[in-house]
Amino acid sequence: MLFLIEYDRSRGTVVNMTTFPDHDRRVAADTRLDLEIALNRQGVQREVVLLEAANEDALRRTHRRYFANLPDLVENPGDRPT
Amino acid sequence: MATISKTQVDRLGERLKTGTPTELDLRLLDSFRRSFAPAYEHVVSTIRKEVDFEPTGRPAKSTTSIVEKLLRETIRLSQMHDIAGCRLVVADIKAQDDAVTRLLHALPETVVMDRRANPSHGYRAVHIVCQVEGQPIEVQVRTLLQHLWAELSEKVSDVVDPAIKYGGGDPGAQSMLAKGSAVIADFERVERLADDPSVGDGLIKIKRDLHAALKSGIEEWKTLER
Repeated sequence: MLFLIEYDRSRGTVVNMTTFPDHDRRVAADTRLDLEIALNRQGVQREVVLLEAANEDALRRTHRRYFANLPDLVENPGDRPT
Repeated sequence: MATISKTQVDRLGERLKTGTPTELDLRLLDSFRRSFAPAYEHVVSTIRKEVDFEPTGRPAKSTTSIVEKLLRETIRLSQMHDIAGCRLVVADIKAQDDAVTRLLHALPETVVMDRRANPSHGYRAVHIVCQVEGQPIEVQVRTLLQHLWAELSEKVSDVVDPAIKYGGGDPGAQSMLAKGSAVIADFERVERLADDPSVGDGLIKIKRDLHAALKSGIEEWKTLER
């Protein structure tokens, strides 16, 4: 499964996340580019990243930075490997 | 898709460093990143089938991260080895050693960057860069503790000061991360020797203490979140 994440670094929060099935790899990459171009036109600073994981739970384990705030990161440190 | 020359890629990198990419620049960068797709898919597929891990993949490094790296280092865009890659998080140091051994056996033309022997601003992990038809793909292998530290470092950098991740920024935040990294290094040294169950119990206690110390540090620093 593919996950397109729009992340506001300064706030430390995900603005939007869109999922795509594995076979829509090209559509996901096209959507990523369109989003980046649109944000660039608006002069909005966001991190736009496309990630691939077995499911959302796996994504949230390996890329917790996008989903957890600072206290949550250490409060619930995660105890399951991928 | 037309092939992009190395010169075109490096000129694009220079333009990206100015901080105001044009739409054409973004499209060219996208084409460059997509050129890694076959190599990326080969590596992820190999890891799934031959090493029996389920990595989280990043088919293309974000523009933000690429620009930051170009500004931070003397590297050229065509030289970046982490445009595409994936990440594995394993339980402990022994599982990490085992995973690295298996990955080196399965992946072609590998170079190992052991950030446990040479931490980068406190960051500990093992990175393997392999080459598939001339395209570098990076595989990050972290233990749960190394991963916790890395996520913490990145989050503090996001919300407090981007310089923190690379050894700059607030000295207090730097100190907290440096201490955390040092404790993890000590933990790993003992972990390698821990076949005795009583040592294992001690390690669990140290791990709890580390979490408590990091939590306490974050309590102090969370007021700094922008």
